[in-house]
Amino acid sequence: MKKKLVSVLLTAAMVMSLPTACFAEADGGSEDPWAEAWADVDTSEHVVISYMTTGDAPTQTAERYEEMMAKLNELLTEKVNAELDIYFIPWTDYLSNYNLTLARMDGTVDLVGTASDWLDAWPNAKNGAFLELSEDMLQKYAPKTWESVTPENWDLCKYNGEIYLMPEDNYAQWTNHGFAYRLDWAKEAGLEDGVHSWEDMTTYFKYVREAYPDIIPWDSDATQYGQMGGGWITSHSDYVSIDGINSGAMWGGKRSDLYTVYCPYMTDTDSLVEYAKMMKEWDEMGVWRTDVLNNTASTNRDDFRVGKVAAEQHHTQTWTDLVSHTENNTIYQTDEDADVGFFYFGEESGNVTALSITHGAMAVSAGSANPERALMVYDLLRNDPEIYRLFNYGIQGVSWDVDENGMRITPEGYNPDTDNINGTVNFWWGRNDDLEIKDARMNWDRIDELYAKYDEIKIEYPYGQFVPDVTSIDAYISNINEIYENYMKQISYGKYTGTAEEIVAEFQSALESAGVNEVTAELQRQFDELYGN
Amino acid sequence: MKKQKSGLTFFQKVVKYRTLLLMCLPAIIFFFAFNYMPLPGIWVAFVRYNYRDGIFGSQFIGLDNFKFLMTSGKLLELTRNTILYNLVFILLGNFLAVFVAILLNEIRSKWFRKVSQTIMFLPYFISQVLVGFLVFNLLNYDTGFVNGVLTSLGLEKWQPYATAGVWPVILVIVYLWQQTGYNSVVYFASIMGIDGEIIEAAKVDGANGFQKILYIILPSLRGTIVILLLFALGGIVKGNFGLFYNVVGSNPMLYPTTDIIETYVYRSTLVDFNFSRASAVGLYQSVIGFVIVMTVNFIVKKIEPDYSLF
Repeated sequence: MKKKLVSVLLTAAMVMSLPTACFAEADGGSEDPWAEAWADVDTSEHVVISYMTTGDAPTQTAERYEEMMAKLNELLTEKVNAELDIYFIPWTDYLSNYNLTLARMDGTVDLVGTASDWLDAWPNAKNGAFLELSEDMLQKYAPKTWESVTPENWDLCKYNGEIYLMPEDNYAQWTNHGFAYRLDWAKEAGLEDGVHSWEDMTTYFKYVREAYPDIIPWDSDATQYGQMGGGWITSHSDYVSIDGINSGAMWGGKRSDLYTVYCPYMTDTDSLVEYAKMMKEWDEMGVWRTDVLNNTASTNRDDFRVGKVAAEQHHTQTWTDLVSHTENNTIYQTDEDADVGFFYFGEESGNVTALSITHGAMAVSAGSANPERALMVYDLLRNDPEIYRLFNYGIQGVSWDVDENGMRITPEGYNPDTDNINGTVNFWWGRNDDLEIKDARMNWDRIDELYAKYDEIKIEYPYGQFVPDVTSIDAYISNINEIYENYMKQISYGKYTGTAEEIVAEFQSALESAGVNEVTAELQRQFDELYGN
Repeated sequence: MKKQKSGLTFFQKVVKYRTLLLMCLPAIIFFFAFNYMPLPGIWVAFVRYNYRDGIFGSQFIGLDNFKFLMTSGKLLELTRNTILYNLVFILLGNFLAVFVAILLNEIRSKWFRKVSQTIMFLPYFISQVLVGFLVFNLLNYDTGFVNGVLTSLGLEKWQPYATAGVWPVILVIVYLWQQTGYNSVVYFASIMGIDGEIIEAAKVDGANGFQKILYIILPSLRGTIVILLLFALGGIVKGNFGLFYNVVGSNPMLYPTTDIIETYVYRSTLVDFNFSRASAVGLYQSVIGFVIVMTVNFIVKKIEPDYSLF
């Protein structure tokens, strides 16, 4: 019985793959664009390329995932005589496990998904975990990627003159943080065009607390202290942070004066005091649970989808999902007025910085036994339409399909619990807008509206070329990290004793004795070296 | 000197005691493989470690890795917390373990003794993560058991997760609850090993139950107690990370009374993943532990040479 089912599915999969093939030709011309470049590459030995990504391996959708991988490997074997194996780093303690796996250097992984701002790309490159990718190598083994990335962008992937990363630079996304909230409830609260400031947010939470007493306005788990603190500062100044120094992004410049380094936690005292006061108010109002600092079992985002909480702090990309009428967002089915707005940090001050192109990038492990083949596989994953869509969406006709408008839809008989492998492979290191098919279920009107607004006010990330050398200051930074977490948690959740002024002063003096000024000075020195005075 | 004393050379001794040595071999191999072979790796604490150059190829930077502990300004507080907690754990833990072992010994019904021993033993097998959740579910403000009871009695709610002062007590209770059953086994076994004739003789002489415990059982346990204490003291600078991390979590309001070396290092190095610095801390703890064991052993040797470790 089972066998029969599998064979039926396989047949279906094969039939369904026909239209994909047509697609590929329409997009990329009938000639195989790689044929010429790879004509003289010796691929006689069959190799397995291991790709490391953060994320949890699929469970409920494992069957679809296996089918997809089988099909993918068929294609990869045919084209470059290689197979892909995904090495998932589960979310629990992901950074430790990620770095530990890289430190093994025994060929466990070949392709490494990485990021300069949230996955230690530069520290790992410095530690020797990544292979230097010479221009010849890239031209030869990843020709399409080489072509599509501009020389300026390649420059942003260099450390000490060597390229280490292949950036995801052709994918529109916004990962600036903010609060997703119930727009319909905000309107009930008297905020006619929604929340547009932290003060509005207070009004909103107050209303929710009164009108919906059974709802925890925001069931936070105390990990968002940094995003909130940073968000407050962005909203109340023209601070632009430098990525990749520490998780608090505590150093940066000003929009008006980009190359003078400062730490806003030391200078913006009044603003921080005001912040501490407001968060105390939120805490006393009951925005989060009383024991929020020990709350580790929160499922706030899922609760938001079903209407059990009233806000979710995360980035724009997450909001684009929450605002769309997908099956998971049951609020739209149970409440026809339901609507989700987004208050982004920096809205009051018009301070939005576009994403660094190395927010997602692919590197090759220095321990890889087959770096050439790894590059070839990456080039296909990123640029071959058929492989790209198979890898990211699943098998066409089973997990997704295309409607008459060229939009991506779910096929008939599709079961979201078992068939949805859209994005399971977490290919956040090479998504490509040229090959993306827009998801028909997404609320594009609203999304495009916000994106347009962002495009109006944004500046490009200005420090792309700056790779801080922290060897002389990382002892300070370790202690500063600890102090930052320690105090920002108390401030951001209003869980401090004494007055707001006192806690901020205490925070600043702790930072000072931990060497925050030394770090600032050293960063300034490196800035001057790179950008001139 | 020694050779002359025993009259045997090292080789002769090996031949003579070959059976004993053979029995010891697995333990020797174990310690050699897991405790002695990695020793050269201590070097990593003195270099700027780089994956590609390896431990011995990386740049030597002397004591730089120890600097962050010093500059944190918290070293004293952390070491103090760690040592004080461990001191309480060791002293109270052993005291309670001896107490429980004696009580168990006095229980006449074999069936009841087995049952109570098993029940006390059980918490030892619960993972620290679950213990953390258990404590949270008992004590949390909104839905905790304790607060549920307080509310139903019409009393005011209690907020332990915002009160640093109560945590030493809570942590000690949790520790004792978890470890006492296990620790008492050793003492119970050595009580069992006491020569029955001595106890009988005492009874004939008219000793009552308390006198039996005070003059026979406790003195017989002294050797075991001293040796276990000495062993435990060696680890006095090594905090119980599992217990502290899971029960306290990362709640900065509680750090003043609950932060130990391990939890601090975990928080401050997790972000930048520095092997060298973590090893430096490990070395610091080992050196202090070594000094403490040597000192205590020296003192014990002066007072009661038979009970010293070496």
